[in-house]
Amino acid sequence: MEPETTFLPLKNIVPAAQNNINAKFILVDKGIAGLEGQYKTCMALAADETAAVHFQLWGDECDAFEAGDILVLTNGIFSTNRNNMVLRAGKRGKVEKVGEFCLAFVETPNLSEIRWGPDPNDPKKFVQLFVVSPLSRIFPPLS
Amino acid sequence: MVSKLVKRSTHEAENPHEVTLRESFLSLEPQLRPPFPLTIPTQEQYLNLNRAILYGILCEPHLAKVHIKHLHGIITDGYGYFTSILVRIVNEMYGKLIDSVKRQLVWVTHEMIYVSAIGLDGLLVALLRQIVGGDFGEENLWWCYEMVNLFSSKWDCLLEDAPLILTGALYVFLRLLADHCRVLNVPKIESLRQMEKDFCVRMLREKLFLCLRIGRDLVRLLQDLVQVPEFRAIWKDLLYDPNSFGTEEFMDISQLYNTRTSKWYFLLRINPEMESQLRFLLTHVKFGGQKRYQVWFAKKYLSAPERNGVVVDIVRFLCCAHHPSNDIIHSNIIQRWAVIGWLLKCNLKNYVEANSKLALFYDWLFFNEKVDNVMNIEPGILLMVYSIPKYADITNSLLEFLLILLDNYDLERKEILLRGISTAFHTLLSKGVIQSLDVLTRCDMLSPNLKERLERLLSECSAIKGSLRIPTSHVMSCA
Repeated sequence: MEPETTFLPLKNIVPAAQNNINAKFILVDKGIAGLEGQYKTCMALAADETAAVHFQLWGDECDAFEAGDILVLTNGIFSTNRNNMVLRAGKRGKVEKVGEFCLAFVETPNLSEIRWGPDPNDPKKFVQLFVVSPLSRIFPPLS
Repeated sequence: MVSKLVKRSTHEAENPHEVTLRESFLSLEPQLRPPFPLTIPTQEQYLNLNRAILYGILCEPHLAKVHIKHLHGIITDGYGYFTSILVRIVNEMYGKLIDSVKRQLVWVTHEMIYVSAIGLDGLLVALLRQIVGGDFGEENLWWCYEMVNLFSSKWDCLLEDAPLILTGALYVFLRLLADHCRVLNVPKIESLRQMEKDFCVRMLREKLFLCLRIGRDLVRLLQDLVQVPEFRAIWKDLLYDPNSFGTEEFMDISQLYNTRTSKWYFLLRINPEMESQLRFLLTHVKFGGQKRYQVWFAKKYLSAPERNGVVVDIVRFLCCAHHPSNDIIHSNIIQRWAVIGWLLKCNLKNYVEANSKLALFYDWLFFNEKVDNVMNIEPGILLMVYSIPKYADITNSLLEFLLILLDNYDLERKEILLRGISTAFHTLLSKGVIQSLDVLTRCDMLSPNLKERLERLLSECSAIKGSLRIPTSHVMSCA
């Protein structure tokens, strides 16, 4: 049996060119799938108790998950895709469904709705510059 | 790894319980064929062997008889551990099990009945809970058939070993019959319906003393079947010829009214997944944050119109089988009355809406402070009170319904109902669930007719149980 992974709270994810993000979250909402080149892709709102983020689903991930699913991401990556800072499994990561419904979450802050910029002290790192929107503009909260 | 137990997609994590069972099986596989080792296993080896044999029974149907013989030979705990891991499979994985595994589940349960296994009660309850109400698909109806067949064919064994569970099965099949007798154009349902009817009629006619253990909800279930000739006859006899059942203790239907139905019956029509979602909602989700969860719940359980009947069972479950702690009640977590209010607005058929309101008020009708719990009646009053002013139509409709119930539910025993409702109001006030009934009697948004009838009711209640105008320094405002 694999040892228990510690999950990174979503509020602590930082953009990087590395695929090292292990997180557990719930899919709050899922958009309609479209095509990017030959790949089916779909944006979703993911969230845990600390924060929310836009999660990009690729290929058969699009149909494998529904809103309300609890997912575990292993070796995921948080980086720009077409000007959006998104969390995704990436080529070396994987995302799996582990349950449904029973996870508390918040919709703010949304790490994808933050403008990130290079750290003045270390250009290879990213820091939060300012909040573009406290909530997702793609998946606004239900009224 | 391709699962032998469940239909699993590549994006689903493996269930840890399944992994444990499979690992036990793989590690012990050579020892699962005769000649079986005669050495006495350690505790850990014993548990491992139980897991391995169970996995073998479920995944190797052609070797099931070899495995069960092996099991019978090594058992030292009355099958207690074996049934517990079986229950875990049913509760966690039933919905995804491969068809052949489901058939093996039925087979091994018959075996467990033969040996009067410890933990049989829990196993039978777990299996009954997986029958989905309002689902007329082939798979679900097949499971329903296997369950009624199990209880019918093992009647004598179960009477001896698990008589209370037989009453649980009665609860389930009476409830299912209400749906099965209303539906049209479903192929193959006729023979299933007949088996269900035969089981229920036999229980009621031959073992009424046992059925009485269900308590007042037995009346609620039977009334929903009064259009069905076999049950109309039983109903008439219960009311007018109680001696015909040959049960000395049964003299009048009011005995059932006065018996509170135990919590576990209400779990029978809610499966474990629905139960954990509802409990999670009422334990972890703050008021104002429930909308997403409600969308998911409705999509999963309430989207097909014929499935909406489960709302009746959910309301009964919420009132009677989920009592939040004081901490939760005083926190900003969403309360039961709010969840019930949302469910009642879920586009329900008329008879489902009426049955749901009956489920909400059922314990009001017969409330006895010595036997009943105020937590069963709390959601009803709070929903009426807190719906003012924004949803005053709910308050009006619920109050109207309660008054209609009082006048029409049992014309010959109205004094019992009046006493029940009086006690309910008194207990709600004395326990501080609400500070005063002024919030209703002085409410501008209640129809004048309704207010008048409420006033009349409250004075009748005061005549029975003393004044309902308990003086208090806090008068709840109509907000």
